[in-house]
Amino acid sequence: MLDENTIRNAARETASEIVGRSVSDGQRLISSGLIDSLSILKLIGSLEKKLHIKISTDGLQPDDLDDVQLITETVQRVARPAAD
Amino acid sequence: MSSIRRDAVSVLASDMQINSLSYLFFLVAAVAVFWCIPVGWRRPFVLVASVFFYATWNTAFVAVPFSICVAVYGASRLMIAKPAQSRRWMWMGIAMVIAVLGFFKYRNFAIANWNSLMLWFGARPLSFAAAIALPLGISFYSFEAISYLIDVRQNRLKNPRFTDLSLFIMFWPHLIAGPIVRARELMPQLSFAAKFDAKFIFEGLDRLIWGLVQKNVIANTLGAWVDAGFLSKSVRLPSTPDSWFTAIAFGLQIYFDFAGYSNIAIGTARLLGITLPENFRYPYNAANPVEFWSRWHMTLSRWVRDYLFFPLNTHFLDSRTALYTSLIGTMCLVGLWHGAGWGFVIWGALHGVYLVAYRIVEAWGVGRAWLKASATIAALRIGTLAAITAAWVPFRAASVQKAGQMLGAMFFRLSAGMHYSLGFYLFTAAIVLLCAVEPYVAQKMAAWDLAGTRPSWRIVARPLAYVCGLALFIIFDEHNAQFIYFQF
Repeated sequence: MLDENTIRNAARETASEIVGRSVSDGQRLISSGLIDSLSILKLIGSLEKKLHIKISTDGLQPDDLDDVQLITETVQRVARPAAD
Repeated sequence: MSSIRRDAVSVLASDMQINSLSYLFFLVAAVAVFWCIPVGWRRPFVLVASVFFYATWNTAFVAVPFSICVAVYGASRLMIAKPAQSRRWMWMGIAMVIAVLGFFKYRNFAIANWNSLMLWFGARPLSFAAAIALPLGISFYSFEAISYLIDVRQNRLKNPRFTDLSLFIMFWPHLIAGPIVRARELMPQLSFAAKFDAKFIFEGLDRLIWGLVQKNVIANTLGAWVDAGFLSKSVRLPSTPDSWFTAIAFGLQIYFDFAGYSNIAIGTARLLGITLPENFRYPYNAANPVEFWSRWHMTLSRWVRDYLFFPLNTHFLDSRTALYTSLIGTMCLVGLWHGAGWGFVIWGALHGVYLVAYRIVEAWGVGRAWLKASATIAALRIGTLAAITAAWVPFRAASVQKAGQMLGAMFFRLSAGMHYSLGFYLFTAAIVLLCAVEPYVAQKMAAWDLAGTRPSWRIVARPLAYVCGLALFIIFDEHNAQFIYFQF
């Protein structure tokens, strides 16, 4: 399984790409409106590609991805290796 | 308005509308008792006050939110007791809530459409069901009940109790027209354990009185002209400027009507020490359609995102076409949530198309510097406002045909002439100006609060503003002026 730092770095990098500027770890991404509905899906897709994982979204809500720390914890909790 | 909507509205008249003097008397008494009784009595007191408030409209219909609470609580207990079958019980609970909503809100709309289809095939139509009033707030508390069920299944709510659920659903400040609250943000506050603090009263009154002014002074005044424009029996088609002014006036009326209600709801809750989520953030200052939906009816947008759009679309991560189709479909459902009529569906579909079009332009514009130029941004802002205004026409028009006539006059059959009263044009223009400066005024006041540098004149200005606001509210009070969103 991926280590926490790898996930955190990928989360920070992906969130920064979507927002268009660097984001800090505690910065609210969804509740602040920085990332909208479609971009949340883009975030999940990008993370899956970068980390070669499948994120199970059953039981997930956008709030679970509201900042880099939450994304890291959520990915650790629900991700499994990609089937390819 | 369609006949179905008019039937529903006509039976909604209540002696204790949230913008009436009788409501203010109820509120003063309720807040006074709330802060005087022991903390342990506050929960039963608020529940009783909420039931009383709802019963002033229709005593028998208290059974509707109560039945939903019973059904949802039963389903949630079964989910917890039988985790292996939690998905089934969640869907059972959701189906029950949707069945109640469908029975009251969409029954005759479904029959009317079915009959149109049958007549087309030459078959015998069904007879319409007897008209039943639409229970106040049913669309709002149904969505809250559905979110509760999903949150229980996802273990976001621990150890749900019936009293917690019924207080969450029935809490009167948000019961009849939102904001659409999530159980996990409201339930922890419903212990009502806060100690009395004068800031609750001041913050509550600030919002409450501004909400009353927004509703009674601005929305009601615009409403009289808007009704005349949209419900005109004149055979003459409206001119281009009159059509635009009428559509703009309705856009302003519905904003001040619903933002006014939301402020009254948020202010009422604040008087009891409770914080409800914000519902509006200067939506007509949005630079594009995506931003509009992050500022307009924010708690509905959030609900749709969390409980509909996100779970549906995580399966379409790689297909842009599927995502865009789903976005338009979701917006059609948002339109249908507002009311049982095709005008609402068209309004939702138009917004779906706007969102998709903006996404396509945004993706295409990456790396094109001229798209970031001030002139382009200003043009996009004006285009967004024009598109939003045009979409209000089918939302408000009496029929799809009437909407087509007005949109035709706005965009295709151009004609000059301004046939309404001068007061209408001037008042509408003044409110447009108010919308433009409102965020800057609010920003300045928030900066004073943050820095603790309130000018000394605010000590006098605040009570003076309360007195002026209440005086305006009473002067402009119209006993039968309903909130537009009460019919949803």
